[in-house]
Amino acid sequence: MRSISFTSMIVVAALAGSVGAARPQEDVKVSHTSLKAGDMAPDFTLLDNKWKQIHLSDYRGKKNVVLAFYVLAFTEG
Amino acid sequence: MAKLEASDAVVFGISIDSPAANNAFAEKIGVTFPLLSDMNRKVLKEYGILKMYNVQKEEYDWAQRTTFVVDKKGVIQSVEEEASAINPNNAVAVCTKLPKK
Repeated sequence: MRSISFTSMIVVAALAGSVGAARPQEDVKVSHTSLKAGDMAPDFTLLDNKWKQIHLSDYRGKKNVVLAFYVLAFTEG
Repeated sequence: MAKLEASDAVVFGISIDSPAANNAFAEKIGVTFPLLSDMNRKVLKEYGILKMYNVQKEEYDWAQRTTFVVDKKGVIQSVEEEASAINPNNAVAVCTKLPKK
């Protein structure tokens, strides 16, 4: 069951990767998150695109946060 | 995006690009939310969403496309991976349902 959905995700990833210059993909190993709804979100500090530090913990008690991890800038991904 | 802001949420994009590349990208596509740089892949590892590519015998890794919604208590409310993570409607729906306080 798990392996079927895993395979289909690889297929989706391969299709998504077919945009633009051909990326020679021989092997893709996807690490699935072990985090799930109900878990605490691990805190982090990262630089934003204005070189400002962003701490996830600064938003606790203030805002809901949507974390959208994307593959690479300037690509369809 | 306006819907997310209306539901009292902030949005962060996160990738392994440098702040300079992210800034150029932000200007090009006109995003209004910050793009964060995880250049050393620390957060990707912590969140467990590093994706390994073997390209011509060399291994490269970057993010698996994933969207997390974190509520005001710091608790994850939803996790979406790959294709479903492109569409923000579910994240909007989750945020809209969260209590305002």
